[in-house]
Amino acid sequence: MKDLKNMIFFENLLDDPDNELVKKAQDDGGVCLGYTCYYVPEVLLNVDKCFSTRLRAPRTGSIDIATYYMSNYTCEFCRSILERAIEGGYEFLDALCEPDACSAMNRMAEHFEILQLNKKPNFFVTHLETPYKVEDYTVDMFETQVQEHILNQLEEKYGVDISDAAIRKAVEEHNEVCQIMTELSDLRKLDNPPITGYEYAVICLVTYTCPKALILPYLRDTLAEVKKRKPDPKPWYRARVEVVGSEIDDPELIKMMEESGAFVVADRYCFGTFPGRQVIPLDDNKPALHQVIEYYMRTSECARWMAEDKIQQRHDTVDTLAKEFKADGIIYEQMKYCDFWGFERTMAGFVLKHDYGWPVLSIDRGYQVRGSGQLRTRFQAFVEALEIKKIKEAKKEGVTA
Amino acid sequence: MSKKKYDYPKSKWFKMKDHMDLQLQKENIKEIAGILKEMAKEKDWSDIPKARKEDYKAFFDRTKDEFNYLKNAGHAKRKDILFNGEERLGKLYRNGQMAFTRREWRGIKDTAYDFYEWARMWKMFLVTFGKDLIPSLNGVLIYRWMVSYFCAHSFMDKLTMGLHGTQLRMHHELIYDIFRYVAENLVILMKADKRNGNCTELNDKLVLFDEMTMGQIITGFPDAVGVPYQLLPVFLVSEMDQLACECYIDAVEEFGLPSDTCPVPTSECGAVVLDQLPHCGCCFISSSMPCDGSVMASEYTSYRYYDLPTYHLTFPVRYDDESSMQEAVQEVKGAIRFIEEKTGTKWSWDSYFTAMKRFNRETDYELVKWDVNQTPTPALIGPAYELYRKWNYEMDGGADPRIPDSAAKVEKMMLKAYENHEPAYTRGKTQYRAIVWSCPPHYFSNFSNWLANCWGVQVLVEMESLNFTKHLNTDDEEEALKDMARLYERMVMRRHTNGGYDHVLTELWRQCEIWKPDLVIMYNHIACKNMSTLNGSFDDQAREHGVRLCWVEHDLMDPRTVSRKDMRSKVNEFMRTVMHAEPTDPTLIDYNDDTTW
Repeated sequence: MKDLKNMIFFENLLDDPDNELVKKAQDDGGVCLGYTCYYVPEVLLNVDKCFSTRLRAPRTGSIDIATYYMSNYTCEFCRSILERAIEGGYEFLDALCEPDACSAMNRMAEHFEILQLNKKPNFFVTHLETPYKVEDYTVDMFETQVQEHILNQLEEKYGVDISDAAIRKAVEEHNEVCQIMTELSDLRKLDNPPITGYEYAVICLVTYTCPKALILPYLRDTLAEVKKRKPDPKPWYRARVEVVGSEIDDPELIKMMEESGAFVVADRYCFGTFPGRQVIPLDDNKPALHQVIEYYMRTSECARWMAEDKIQQRHDTVDTLAKEFKADGIIYEQMKYCDFWGFERTMAGFVLKHDYGWPVLSIDRGYQVRGSGQLRTRFQAFVEALEIKKIKEAKKEGVTA
Repeated sequence: MSKKKYDYPKSKWFKMKDHMDLQLQKENIKEIAGILKEMAKEKDWSDIPKARKEDYKAFFDRTKDEFNYLKNAGHAKRKDILFNGEERLGKLYRNGQMAFTRREWRGIKDTAYDFYEWARMWKMFLVTFGKDLIPSLNGVLIYRWMVSYFCAHSFMDKLTMGLHGTQLRMHHELIYDIFRYVAENLVILMKADKRNGNCTELNDKLVLFDEMTMGQIITGFPDAVGVPYQLLPVFLVSEMDQLACECYIDAVEEFGLPSDTCPVPTSECGAVVLDQLPHCGCCFISSSMPCDGSVMASEYTSYRYYDLPTYHLTFPVRYDDESSMQEAVQEVKGAIRFIEEKTGTKWSWDSYFTAMKRFNRETDYELVKWDVNQTPTPALIGPAYELYRKWNYEMDGGADPRIPDSAAKVEKMMLKAYENHEPAYTRGKTQYRAIVWSCPPHYFSNFSNWLANCWGVQVLVEMESLNFTKHLNTDDEEEALKDMARLYERMVMRRHTNGGYDHVLTELWRQCEIWKPDLVIMYNHIACKNMSTLNGSFDDQAREHGVRLCWVEHDLMDPRTVSRKDMRSKVNEFMRTVMHAEPTDPTLIDYNDDTTW
């Protein structure tokens, strides 16, 4: 296939959290709000003159200093973010909005305060109380948390308009991004798709890390280009997989899977499409904030949700996506040392395999994995297993016929 | 005396009829016989005479060593040993053995008293198990962890090592209560277990509580029984027998769980994988407490026991923020409704308030201990105190009416010891004041005892003790619910590891101001994400505050990662190089107890 026009531009945007679009938005008076987790409703960080950037630590090398502070048995994603912060890589942020959802992420955010890693006078860090189940009273509680700890702070410190109208406007812009991403994502359902999993991952990541208003023109342009793009005569992949799990903010991991012949058709991981890149429906007659909060809570697929219905939802979502995107198998992955996904990957991998009948590859991995021969071998072996399964099934069908 | 005074636990629970499935027992015994047969086949019997020979030799060598020691000790020393007990406690360990070589000699009077307590505990066990003997004994044939409870007396000896006089008496009082709590809950579990006693009447009223979920809430249900579900098969047994949880950890890691998770939820999930949790109860109260791992362990339990109705009791993490209080209250109300529905019993405010008045009294007793231990002559320290606080005070949650009586008895002894300036340990073992921070290792539950005996380090208090001490409301229903929520939010571990670094990092410096320790024993539970994510800041700020931190790594329930010996080595090194100290009992510096209970 012909290369996408904006791909190098997108890849360059991912090379630095403080990329050219972030700089431009701040130069234009924008308030940059960092966050790392779906628990923080992204769309609310884009009200009025604010814009969100989901924190990554691209090109991470040594994380020794962060390891001194957070020890070596803790999430490498969080340590990498902290290392980058200690290096001064997030001094451009105007606030860091974090939930108290997992201990590593919480402590990472707390170290911004303990070590005073951002010297901007109005910089603040939020620690949202985050519920474990979706009930009316937990939605109310979470709404209060977001109102008090994020919105009111933004209004007070940066004079941000946090009215219902401002929230609706942010949702509108967010929805346009999601509309484009959904159209792009749906193209992955095709047998011979005009987009690769890697390209999609890069585009998806820039929507998380760049100001929405500034990235939108490029997204529109790219969607039009992909729609017209002519795929190679034969599909390039050997198997179709759905990837499920914790943070993947490094498209190189997707590239590694695809180099092994596994086309990533669905991305049900943090920083992926499901959830996060679907249109948020709003009822004009109800307060926008409450609707947004409830939407994020109901659509969240985080392993931290304890209630039985949420556990079932997680399994069903993976199953539904795999069917919808015609996956041959599922790759469950977790960031090494992540407690939530460590337990979830093991159990859900078992359930999806035994109760739902999916072939499952279950892996844990470091933050930067592009050099991991071990992982590459496992992906290759999984692809081969899926191929063998398909051959056997075809033979079986032939015999039956 | 206490038996006559109170009907607790209610005798009616024990009198309910069992419906043991005899066919199932027959099959189980057949399976056990098969295993024994296989073991017998695999056993190299030629090793036995050799092992016996080694035992005799070790016995002879030890006796000779002790004889020579006494012979060379001189008259005054011999007299001292005869009346005040032995000094060389490290000699009680023998490499490769599970039990001590012999019981400790504490002097004539204290040894006699110690034997009395030994016998009293046996009597308590026999009486308690006798309440439903067959299922209780049969449990040993079903659950491997039940076997670990046979080392209860050894555990008692371990907790009281080096103690004399009033200290010994206080510890025995506390230990007795701990084991009574264990024995009674064991009988209930075995009686209710569908594979064992199968008492349906009891099961209809039995509520299972998740790891570390305190018992206050069940005190409002006088017609229901609450049992901490994983406590006896996993949690508590790992404090008695350091090897008990290894099989669970291996099983769940083989299932696919990463090896870096906390051994508490890991072991619980392993117990699920091995089907080592009794099948009983009418419902399960799972909880998000105290940490991320606990949250996820519930998923394993609910998947394995999917027919057990489950309520997830989840409290806010950022508990200082009172704006989340309404959510916490709703959680408590939801749990109450759930228990009412599943057990068919009614919540009683009278019953709850009565129990909480008791709990408040117990809190007062706890605070007096703190007051005394903050003085230059601490009077009640040691592992039994730590364990008693955890099980009989916090977990029991005011349910047991016998606890305030024993707490009062201990307080009386403690105040007398304080007034008489009786040291917590004799033989100069009170040279340094220390507090313990972070979560303690289960497999070295008498670590503070070793610290005192070996290096003269008195552990005045541990982080896990310093929880919620406000009196719970006992007259206003809405306020009472809020207080209950506040208490649960600030339960053991959670009080410190949740809700922000101020609760554990800054809190340490505040506590250092109060307790004035010479050093802080800083446990580094390597798999605890909540604590280890602050390691560097602890070091940074300790330097600023001039506090000496003695870091001691451990892996909570898995002694294979960091052994007891490794833990001791860290302290030995610190005491020599930083404190420039001399050991108070050099025989405890280096010994091997990798297989000791």
